[in-house]
Amino acid sequence: MTNHWIDIKNSDCILIMGSNAAENHPISFKYVTQAMEKGAKLINVDPRFTRTSSKADIYTALRSGTDIAFLGGMIKYILENNLYNHEYTAAYTNAPFIVGEAYGFKDGLFAGYTKNEEGPSAGSYDKSKWAFEMDANGVPKLDRTLKNKKTVFQLMKEHYSRYDLDTVSKVTGTPKEDLIEVYKTYAATGKTGKAGTIMYAMGWTQHTVGTQNIRTMAMIQLMLGNMGVAGGGVNALRGESNVQGSTDHCLLWHIWPGYLKTPRASNNSLEAYNKKWTPKSQDPLSANWWQNYPKYSVSLLKSFFGKTATKDNQFGYNWLPKVDDGSVYSWFDIFDSMYKGDVKGFFAWGQNPACSGSNASKVRKSMEELDWMVNVNIFDNETGSFWKGPGTDASKIKTEVFMLPAAVSVEKEGSITNSGRWMQWRYQGPKPLGNSRPDGDIIMELGQRIKEAYKKGGGVFKDPIVNLKWDYETNGAYDPHKAAKEINGYFTKDVTVKGKLCKKGTLVPSFAWLQTDGSTSSGNWLYCNSYTEKGNMSARRSQQDAPNNIGLYPEFAWCWPVNRRIIYNRASVDPKGRPWDKKDWVIKFAGEEKDGKYVSKKWIGDVPDGGWYPLENPDGSKRKDSKHPFIMRKHGFGQIFGPGRADGPFPEHYEPLECPVEKNSFSSQMVNPTAVVYNTKADAHATCDPRFPFVGTTYRVSEHWQTGLMTRPQPWLMELQPNMFVEMSEELAKLRGIKNGERVNVTSARSSVECTAIVTKRFKPFKIGYATVHQVGVPWHYGWRWPATGTEESANLLTPSAGDPNTRIPETKAFMVNVTKL
Amino acid sequence: MKLDRRDFIKISGATAAGIAVSGLGFDLKQVKSHAGMLKTRYAKESTTICCYCAVGCGAIVHTSKRGDGRVMNIEGDPDHVINQGSLCSKGSSIKQLVENENRLTEPMYRAPYSDKWQTVSWDWALNNIADRVKKTRDESFEKTNAKGQTVNRTTKIASVGSAALDNEECWIYQSLMRSLGLVYIEHQARI
Amino acid sequence: MSKSILIDTTICTGCRGCQVACKQWHNLPAEKTTNVGSFQNPQDLSFDTYKLVRMNEEIINGKLEWLFFADQCRHCIDAPCLETAFDENAIYKDSATGAVQYTKTTKKLDADEIIGSCPYNIPRKAVDGTLAKCDMCNDRIHNGLKPACVTACPTGAMQFGDRDEILALAGQRLEKAKKKFPKAMLLNPDEVNVIYLVGFDPELYTDYAVASNDRGGLSRSVALRKMMGPFAKMMRV
Repeated sequence: MTNHWIDIKNSDCILIMGSNAAENHPISFKYVTQAMEKGAKLINVDPRFTRTSSKADIYTALRSGTDIAFLGGMIKYILENNLYNHEYTAAYTNAPFIVGEAYGFKDGLFAGYTKNEEGPSAGSYDKSKWAFEMDANGVPKLDRTLKNKKTVFQLMKEHYSRYDLDTVSKVTGTPKEDLIEVYKTYAATGKTGKAGTIMYAMGWTQHTVGTQNIRTMAMIQLMLGNMGVAGGGVNALRGESNVQGSTDHCLLWHIWPGYLKTPRASNNSLEAYNKKWTPKSQDPLSANWWQNYPKYSVSLLKSFFGKTATKDNQFGYNWLPKVDDGSVYSWFDIFDSMYKGDVKGFFAWGQNPACSGSNASKVRKSMEELDWMVNVNIFDNETGSFWKGPGTDASKIKTEVFMLPAAVSVEKEGSITNSGRWMQWRYQGPKPLGNSRPDGDIIMELGQRIKEAYKKGGGVFKDPIVNLKWDYETNGAYDPHKAAKEINGYFTKDVTVKGKLCKKGTLVPSFAWLQTDGSTSSGNWLYCNSYTEKGNMSARRSQQDAPNNIGLYPEFAWCWPVNRRIIYNRASVDPKGRPWDKKDWVIKFAGEEKDGKYVSKKWIGDVPDGGWYPLENPDGSKRKDSKHPFIMRKHGFGQIFGPGRADGPFPEHYEPLECPVEKNSFSSQMVNPTAVVYNTKADAHATCDPRFPFVGTTYRVSEHWQTGLMTRPQPWLMELQPNMFVEMSEELAKLRGIKNGERVNVTSARSSVECTAIVTKRFKPFKIGYATVHQVGVPWHYGWRWPATGTEESANLLTPSAGDPNTRIPETKAFMVNVTKL
Repeated sequence: MKLDRRDFIKISGATAAGIAVSGLGFDLKQVKSHAGMLKTRYAKESTTICCYCAVGCGAIVHTSKRGDGRVMNIEGDPDHVINQGSLCSKGSSIKQLVENENRLTEPMYRAPYSDKWQTVSWDWALNNIADRVKKTRDESFEKTNAKGQTVNRTTKIASVGSAALDNEECWIYQSLMRSLGLVYIEHQARI
Repeated sequence: MSKSILIDTTICTGCRGCQVACKQWHNLPAEKTTNVGSFQNPQDLSFDTYKLVRMNEEIINGKLEWLFFADQCRHCIDAPCLETAFDENAIYKDSATGAVQYTKTTKKLDADEIIGSCPYNIPRKAVDGTLAKCDMCNDRIHNGLKPACVTACPTGAMQFGDRDEILALAGQRLEKAKKKFPKAMLLNPDEVNVIYLVGFDPELYTDYAVASNDRGGLSRSVALRKMMGPFAKMMRV
């Protein structure tokens, strides 16, 4: 989330699309309700009427997988009715940038496309074709009037001129009058002082166009001036208590803690690595925050290897693994490789891929190829016990499995980071049950034994292992405070920074103090400032709000970066530093003014996104010592044109890999031309196939969580939602002769799952052109291990192994199925 | 003295109970039995953050100070600025997650081709896992790739997880995995 | 001053935090349930389920509405169950809170008569005939805590306080609700301590949302006792 949970109350219009907040983030509705009590409108767009819809002022349905069409229509509506925020769009977004001559778009393809016959990626783009035009100094050329035909603004207008109401309605199945009502209501937040927010989740990400779904909305938020303001932002409702923190600390193949890049093989030295990944801007008004990259990477290496990381050994850079340039090592690729027998050892630590991975049959089959597996969890699960799952023969499965019992969160101490980026400390209640142990102790202990094995017995390339800093223990037990301090970072020698002597061994106050010479460590620069000499910031409990009284609660817990509660908040003020919204302001410039010029620097409210002077003086003269507000972008502007994405600088509607229509109404490109599709025997797909006539989608319910492993063993929650089910319309039930409550089979090209039919008015068939398209939905909370009957299985047995080209996230929100009586 | 909401509740609670005992009619006996002690009165109180979704709601954990030292009650923390005491059905059931007869309480091992689990000691499990890691890593370690570039990695070991770990655990876990040369490191954020 | 609860169904999201919080605080066991084609479960209140969010899908004025009704004991001001039982060791009212309390002694009562006397169809019996229902978390109230269900409620749909405050709040909430739901109403506010605010015809939520005419009728003996007031206690008619 660019903003945070409490901030939702400041919104004037809340769009919930691609999420079901009332059910999956129930407490968010405290703030949705508060906003509505003050007059905010709630819009909900979802293929199915949910508990969120039940509270909405406006609810309308769309066919799964057509969000870009829906939102593309909104962009057209906003532009044609002149409802965008002119001042904001011209000042803070890249709408005025001039795009180079090489850019083009024709019949669903952007310039620079090459098809890839081998897969799994269907094709790729030469993104240099989408570059901006630069002036002689290497600064982007702009036309603030937005009139130049080559501006991003005009190109956007042209691109979305094709998204007319008739076509959008035909594709989405949403009635035209509903489209207009949603567009009109949301676009009203373009007015200065009004804020609209989007609450989205996996309903947007889990598509072959997942990243672009979100980009479409980000463009709308920029055009309407909704970024950086209270009650605005682009808000991903993250689904797991620490999925934000685990992402920040980068338990992911492509990034290192703090969103640094995993080195490529071609980055053959620390210097080459830093050079490659440190962006350069020639614009003195661009903060280009990532210019600090080498400070963060070197400090991280110091945290990895401590004293053994020295300038002479490039701080241990070459001890760490490199990935091949152009190769991808994502979730899909792990299991594809495992399926082919190329992975021997496997850790499934606090995760249940046998139910959570799309095309779960392939995932389960892959595990049979392993020599060994380590499964750490609080319950036995479908992953650890895969060898005795349905359809397996244990006597033929070689895999050794170690199942380690972990403590539950309340039995240990440490922090987690919520969706609003708040790091919050948890304390131990009871001791771990039985012989279970906190994950931290298991990790430490395992690390010790591996280190000892290499120290004693030697082994291949043992330096990184024996040199790994591994002192996060007190009295022989894992100490989360020591790890938290390492993440924050230390001064590793006496050093003078900003004219202040910083003593060796003291904690770094914030990332502005990090250095490139090894005099600082920091396990994650984004968390530098979280645990300082002043103490553990995440444990703070003050209920005092900030002076602007918009619910920032700056001394309750801690949030990254540097406790800034609303990011990009420099865009919440006009170029003179005055809030667009006078009432619910985030920051305001409070420096002294003399003769129409600002003469001293002071911001009040939230921690500003950089403390520079405003862009302009009160008399309108431009300042040279200011910075553009979008400081994490190379040029400092919000990106309406996104030339970094794999599938194009503007989002374009493509059909899901499996879809019910034979033609894409917007172009002759049926599916995202860069989508990722796997092709082993276990990766069957079927589109426009009469055997699978209905659109299927997966989702969650309030009473269960993820694969259900932390809810299915609980009688209280099983009482509420005891069975795997499929929801369908009354019309579809009639068509198939299905009665409410009876058991049915849901089948896709990959597998079949038995479900209880919920026949409901909350699903309605879609009118897609002249055809009627039915959609059904299944929750992905079940698995054969719990309940012990073994009859309730995972919806991911049905979902495909195809994904988004930017992230390789699977397309589990739109695929094709059949429903039949048992 | 600045009172937080919970202090206030404690104080007003004491007052309410005081009133309840005085000035009552015939049903004094029953009222006393109800107005008496809360089951959580002698419990240790600790704060936590809910382990389910990422709203980050605060909860109070009441752990018995007597007997088994287990959880007696978990409810929303009224002093937490986000949820102010609220919890959904999942958050309200955390006690049953912790105090659950289905939990794993011993390390277990499944041998190749076996059809059952056997309980093992932590020592045995961790030593054997360390052995497997070392063996697979050493056999598969690539110092250079097909192009001859230094890569220092293994693609024969993969790790998934976890958004269920604390931040500090995530950090030490990724550092251990990366020091071993793993590049197949993924978790819930990808799916 | 007795305590009251307001349940504003117009802002209830049906998250069922209240339903589980109730079981959690009271240590009530889960029931074995089956999905019968609806999200609602269990299907009814029981000896082990004091609080149940009833869920109904209705087309009202051409629009689909998903109605949630967090059903529970209303803690009647003049509770027919209490009158019917006529045994303070089994059913009594805590005069400090207004909460109607059932004890183990309810086992000695005619359970069906007690259940039949309830205009809202709330009490439920165990196999041995013992009766149970919501106790308003009387132990919590006496210790300055809100009832577990009210504490858990995310949207403020459930509010707890002194009766006069809750009545005032109910009036304000009703005025507010009427702007979106012209037919909004409070259910038997003068007769109960657990006051529901509904946006639509109460019968759409559950059969016994409002005091039912064909239930709660006082038997002759109960009516007589009522007439005689305090003396009845001595006379044990």
